Amino acid sequence: MEKVNKQFLTGHEVVVQACVDAEATHMFGYPITPGTEILSGWIKKCQEDKKLHFLQTEDEIAAGFTVCGALMAGSKAFTATAGPGTVLMQDAMGMADGMRLPFVTIIAQRGGPSSGTVIYSQQEVNLAIHGGNGEGLRLVFSPSTVEELYRLTRKAFNDAWTYRFPTVVLTDGYLLKTKQDVTLDFAGENVEPKPLVSEHTQKNIRNIYTFEQELMDELENQKKDFDEMAKTVTEFESYKVESCEELIIAHGIVGAAARDAVDELQAQGKSVGLFRPITLSPFPKDELNKLVKGVNKIMIVESSMGQLRDLVKQSLEVENKIKIEGLYKPAVGIEVEEIVELFK
Amino acid sequence: MSKDSKFCPGCGQTMILQTLYRILQEQKSEEKAVLGLDIGCSLLAWDFLPINTFQTHHGRVTATMVGFNRARPDLLSFAYTGDGGAYAIGLQSLLWAAKRNDPVTVIVANNAVYAMTGGQTAPTTMKDQKTDTSPSGYDADPVDGMKLIRSVNEKAYLARGAVNEMKDMKMYLEKAIQAQRDGNFAMVEILSFCPTNWRVKGKEMIEYVDNMKTAFPTGEF
Amino acid sequence: MNIKILLSGDGGQGIQLIANMICQAAFGSDFHVTSIPNYGLEQRGGVSLNFIQISDKKIVYPKFTKPDILLIMSPQAKERVVEYEKNGKLKLEIGEYEQILKENNVPRQSQNIFCLGLIAKILEEREILKKENVFELLEKKLVTKSGWEENAKSFELGTL
Repeated sequence: MEKVNKQFLTGHEVVVQACVDAEATHMFGYPITPGTEILSGWIKKCQEDKKLHFLQTEDEIAAGFTVCGALMAGSKAFTATAGPGTVLMQDAMGMADGMRLPFVTIIAQRGGPSSGTVIYSQQEVNLAIHGGNGEGLRLVFSPSTVEELYRLTRKAFNDAWTYRFPTVVLTDGYLLKTKQDVTLDFAGENVEPKPLVSEHTQKNIRNIYTFEQELMDELENQKKDFDEMAKTVTEFESYKVESCEELIIAHGIVGAAARDAVDELQAQGKSVGLFRPITLSPFPKDELNKLVKGVNKIMIVESSMGQLRDLVKQSLEVENKIKIEGLYKPAVGIEVEEIVELFK
Repeated sequence: MSKDSKFCPGCGQTMILQTLYRILQEQKSEEKAVLGLDIGCSLLAWDFLPINTFQTHHGRVTATMVGFNRARPDLLSFAYTGDGGAYAIGLQSLLWAAKRNDPVTVIVANNAVYAMTGGQTAPTTMKDQKTDTSPSGYDADPVDGMKLIRSVNEKAYLARGAVNEMKDMKMYLEKAIQAQRDGNFAMVEILSFCPTNWRVKGKEMIEYVDNMKTAFPTGEF
Repeated sequence: MNIKILLSGDGGQGIQLIANMICQAAFGSDFHVTSIPNYGLEQRGGVSLNFIQISDKKIVYPKFTKPDILLIMSPQAKERVVEYEKNGKLKLEIGEYEQILKENNVPRQSQNIFCLGLIAKILEEREILKKENVFELLEKKLVTKSGWEENAKSFELGTL
């Protein structure tokens, strides 16, 4: 099929395209706003290409575990979910945590707690990273534009199958519903999936241990691998940070608003830059610490009560006594003007 | 058999698993078989047989094997679970796998209690049976897995055997595997000894299972 | 150059359709375009919005608070966009065209197409698109559907 680079597509459409281009073959999912169009979009692709498969499961729990089963068998499988679905998904993601499965999920954040609102929030950061009953060794990407959503969704499959940690593309209904002219970068190789068990293996794989020490040893190995992976996969954007006095930290679509705000603030002669973590886990710790050395104040901007702030605080070196302020608007979008206003 | 059994002495599960393995050997299908394990005493099967096995989560083995089967329909997907994993916490997935007629074989070891956690009430606990969590006797009838699954799938192969009817049990498992090969959902429930939680031994164990057959008649359904 | 357009109306009035036409035409003229609807529970009988940006530079953030053009197609929508109205530069309110719509017998279901004509005219004046191109896209979408003649006439009327 001839590919057109410049297209006018929604976030949902680029996610589906990225999954196809990553050579994913199986989606298991349960409809939930604002992620449903990923499932229906994928099903449309399945009608065109018989190598692609889907199953609408009975709930998110089954969606997650069917993904686990397909991964065991060596298929590039994935799911997409949101809000209360992300909560249910933790059961299967926990199995993926424990057994190092290349579990890819696209999370369309919506307002919480409970059924909350159905469009938008940045409240599933903790859940994406630390939703399991373990240590939160997951790879979590937070794209800020439709183009980045494509790139990172595709990368999610490659990184998941290379490093074998559960991988999340953490997005939201605003970005998924945004329709935009995009130039998609189709280049790049896909990582080949490999089965954990097949007719050529005879493996006995467990996720429950008899002795405490066994589990601790396993976790220490996992941590070593995770830290090693961090050197390669950690991503961030520093925007107009050269000798800036104040630093905005934002992620996802709020990061896009913050970028526009920085343009406007610098046009007003203010010395404000932006640090945008693209991987929320592993967090770009070293870069942040380097950057804040010359900065007087950090301004966190997020659509949550402080889930990003907590990641930042955990990452700052102890001796760093930098002032941290913030605009915290749980489950509400943040406009460029509001960010500019913070520096009046 | 690969390693020392981790099951309690007298546990019925070793008989079920050994029977399954014998069939696979007879059919020269050991390499083709993948045995997913629920959490519960079933998890102890993880290194019991020299075939591919993996543990899943409690109640999630059926969904996992549905996913496995969809990726590799040419292999034999087995979901091995206890009665709690099948009919309580995992019922939603079991019912839907059956309703969709997913070609997987679910093997349910029914010992009428939650055994791994020390003998609490299970979906298969029988009327008036005393357990940790039903100290004055359970006051309802148990779940009948055969009727339940038949109500959502006419094509499924469904049978209930017992560890003291080995010949029939083997036949049911063989037929279940054939059903899966033919593209149908299959479930075999097997009444299994639990000497530890039943607090019985020897001949009493046989009597206990025979008594279970009043609530859980064996045969094909 | 960056033009921000906020379209508002009742669910079912066809706001998303005309948003799509405007965006497709601007995209066809090689501009950068973003479009973001409100949706979700609000889809059910509530107010329908679409935030459009058209720019000669890459657009980073799709939402905005200060529309250059604000379309209001119902009283309920007007209430909803009150904050945007304060900041809006050019306001197009369906109520103000009541006379023309009546005189020309524009049916209710074609009012959105009339509004599309209004906006196409403005965007042509600003050299963003050609109203013929919008019409072509519209024709492709609706020519086989019932009421095409009324829709075509309503578009024409809007562009006058």
